Amino acid sequence: MAQNESIQALTEQEYKHGWVTHIDADQVPAGLSEDVVRLISGKKNEPEWLLQWRLRAYRHWLTMKEPTWQKPHYPKIDYQSVIYYSAPKPKKELSSLDEVDPELLATFEKLGISLDEQKRLSGVATNVAVDVVFDSVSVKTTFQEELKKAGIIFCSFSEAVHNHPELVKKYLGTVVPFTDNFFATLNSAVFSDGSFCYIPKGVRCPMELSTYFRINSAGTGQFERTLLIADEGSHVSYLEGCTAPSRDENQLHAAVVELVALKGSTIKYSTVQNWYPGDKDGKGGVYNFVTKRGMAEQDAKLSWTQVETGSAITWKYPSCILKGDNSVGEFYSVAMTRDYQQADTGTKMIHIGRNTKSTIISKGISAGHGDQTYRGQVKILKSATGARNFSACDSLLLGDKCGAHTVPYIESNNAGAVIEHEASTSKISDEQIFFLRQRGLSEEDAVNLIVNGFCKDVLSELPMEFAVEAQKLLGLKLEGAVG
Amino acid sequence: MTQPLLEISNLHVAINGTEILHGINLTVNAGEVHAIMGTNGSGKSTLTKVIAGHPDYVVTSGDIKLRGVSILEQEPEDRARAGVFLAFQYPVEVPGVSNMYFLRTALNAHRKHRGQPELSGAEFLALVKEKARLVDIDAGLLNRSVNEGFSGGEKKRNEILQCACWNRHWRSWMKPTAAWTSMP
Ligand SMILES: Nc1ncnc2c1ncn2[C@@H]1O[C@H](COP(=O)(O)OP(=O)(O)O)[C@@H](O)[C@H]1O
Ligand SMILES: [Mg+2]
Repeated sequence: MAQNESIQALTEQEYKHGWVTHIDADQVPAGLSEDVVRLISGKKNEPEWLLQWRLRAYRHWLTMKEPTWQKPHYPKIDYQSVIYYSAPKPKKELSSLDEVDPELLATFEKLGISLDEQKRLSGVATNVAVDVVFDSVSVKTTFQEELKKAGIIFCSFSEAVHNHPELVKKYLGTVVPFTDNFFATLNSAVFSDGSFCYIPKGVRCPMELSTYFRINSAGTGQFERTLLIADEGSHVSYLEGCTAPSRDENQLHAAVVELVALKGSTIKYSTVQNWYPGDKDGKGGVYNFVTKRGMAEQDAKLSWTQVETGSAITWKYPSCILKGDNSVGEFYSVAMTRDYQQADTGTKMIHIGRNTKSTIISKGISAGHGDQTYRGQVKILKSATGARNFSACDSLLLGDKCGAHTVPYIESNNAGAVIEHEASTSKISDEQIFFLRQRGLSEEDAVNLIVNGFCKDVLSELPMEFAVEAQKLLGLKLEGAVG
Repeated sequence: MTQPLLEISNLHVAINGTEILHGINLTVNAGEVHAIMGTNGSGKSTLTKVIAGHPDYVVTSGDIKLRGVSILEQEPEDRARAGVFLAFQYPVEVPGVSNMYFLRTALNAHRKHRGQPELSGAEFLALVKEKARLVDIDAGLLNRSVNEGFSGGEKKRNEILQCACWNRHWRSWMKPTAAWTSMP
């Protein structure tokens, strides 16, 4: 059919961030052993307690089996051929932007990320503080001084280990223990860097915080760790973005994000994920196997918003443990798969406290041979009297070679809990496209309009400037020669 | 002599290999209003969709000219921008897209085609308000998703609103009012 051809053409747009930065890297040899764990810890000058924590994780990992329950399939990963640490050289403390390698600056400028505090992100009305992670290390965090005035700590994970060890020690692994799952455990053993953030009691963070991840080197895995603590009554909005060069081999990204929302606080965590998805025949691409979880104390609110457009395989379930009474968990997701991309994503909402509330809005868009699964768990514990959950999972299919699956797991141990689940699968109809073209829109704009309408409930949850970026990204993904 | 606005000559149309229109001839001059009548299934809807360029229909012979130019090779959006407006019998819903945003996006596509600059937010709002009054459509419908949950009558009014917003030339009304329908 004509529409299938054009949708195919439409979704064969090339990846725009596929270039490589040529920069010397300080790498450890490929492979994983206790020595490698010690080497990574040593390179980062870590205290003994952290090394021991890593080693416990590593030894535990050796006893674990790679999970096989997920829908996506991938060839067996050879964990001994992965490079677990790669940092751009020279690795010295950066005190000003002038000391950042110009190649790196250029890299991030090209990605539209300004490391210059004087410059604002294009089209962005408010300032955004950025921590940028290049392969295994954080290269620069902007606006640190300004944030410090409000008592906010925003820095690389490595810096936090040295400057705020008491906070790291207190919270590391409290939401995602090192025994959690195969990939989180691997991460616990070899994580190289990531972002750390602490918002003190009662403070409303004056700007958006964001981390930008870039995998550059070949053959490296990226294992970053983010720890975000919102103290009582505080408020923070956080954004994460990611890209990687186009490479023929698959690259492993196994990150861990832990959110700690103390009493009465709010954490809003948004992700625009655009890792290299592989080429149109399914060659190469990033394996995005990520563990993201938040713990909400009394009256706290955790909100995950994700726009997942990249990666060969996306496998993640940003989750909320609603521990405190009246705590709230939200999950808003748009996942787009095309060509041979696979996504198995969703959330877990664990209701422990009384009157806890969760909302799940998931929008899946599949094109080409893209395949995706929404997998979500809503678990109401006996203690969670008055708990409520609402879930809506909608899938939109473009063309007839793609697939969408919805796998909800609902477990209620409290008879008073109210759980609602809605699911729908639709196709962009020929009549919709004809209607919009008859009104003067090109076919591309017509598909775009329909897709954006489909995602509206999620995109409207993103901070304004990132909503625009996400909309553009979805547009780019659909862009291409028509007909 | 002035050129006819629309000129259909010996038009044969097939869908899925079955011929539905067997040689239609029709000339419409600027300013004229024509009503095409026929029994159910005689091909009225087919004719309007073919003029608008619906991809399911194949023109096997004959021609359709708009102001002297054959439009058979043109995409539906090109025909629309040249002034062909098809009021749908069953206007399509576009969930999540506000009517206002849709009207503006489409209007700008038309303006771009005419070499005119995009309207500012304020100019657009003024235009829509004026046209909404003209077609007597409830302003509340402007902020709802395109046709979603609209009553039959509201959908038809919304069609006329769209036409009024960007069209200056020729219109083909496909059953815009209940009175015109031949359906039982
Ligand atoms: N998609 C289609 N596939 C097969 N036959 C069709 C299709 N659309 C219309 N037809 C046939 O074409 C003929 C004309 O239909 P139509 O143009 O809708 O008539 P009218 O609008 O005059 O009632 C009918 O016999 C109808 O069944
Ligand atoms: Mg008809």
